[in-house]
Amino acid sequence: MSVLETYSYISSSPIFVSSDVPDIPEMGGFVLFSGIVRNLNEGKKVTHLEYEAYAPMADEMIAGILSDARKKWDLLHANCIHRVGKLEISEIAVIVETGSMHRAEAYESNRYIIDRVKHEVPIWKKEFYIDGSSQWSKGCVHESH
Amino acid sequence: MDIQLLFFAAVKDHFPDLKKIEVSEGDSILNLRKILTHTNPGSESILKVSRFAVNQSIVNDDFVLREGSVVAVLPPSSGG
Repeated sequence: MSVLETYSYISSSPIFVSSDVPDIPEMGGFVLFSGIVRNLNEGKKVTHLEYEAYAPMADEMIAGILSDARKKWDLLHANCIHRVGKLEISEIAVIVETGSMHRAEAYESNRYIIDRVKHEVPIWKKEFYIDGSSQWSKGCVHESH
Repeated sequence: MDIQLLFFAAVKDHFPDLKKIEVSEGDSILNLRKILTHTNPGSESILKVSRFAVNQSIVNDDFVLREGSVVAVLPPSSGG
């Protein structure tokens, strides 16, 4: 897994959020979205997750999505990092950061980035349940999650 | 000719040992889909909803394979 450290947007190390924001003088709005491992899915108690990625392709696709977002909105900052490997409940699975002069662009672009990452990027989630069973997630069927 | 195969997530469970496969000159992704389904009929439903990437780019069913193509079979993803 150590080879994953070389990717910009895919990480096998824990993601932490900080109260510091990027030091960009023109930036008036900064949105941080965190996707967090929760203990329940489809009514089943989840004990932990494992994320798998086709890392080189996922890394390139996230770079492309961030680039598309920069073309659509006037962004001063855009970043996305997705975890792979074993994640415990309440750990951060993914973050999306966007910053712009005003809040509207930061909010809209952030939603755009996470939605495309969830639907398009080759990253898969395996759920492990309290009864000892496990299952690959069937894909994103809930638009609002 | 031989092509390399990469399986992920639920698809990997159906083809644990298959790393390469022989296809014919001119075979497309559609042909590969059929070959894989024939190899393991239990994989049919997941293969139907999977995307295919060749050398890390998503391709359509009519994409023609070449010697040494690295083909990734990508079931529906669910990042985040």
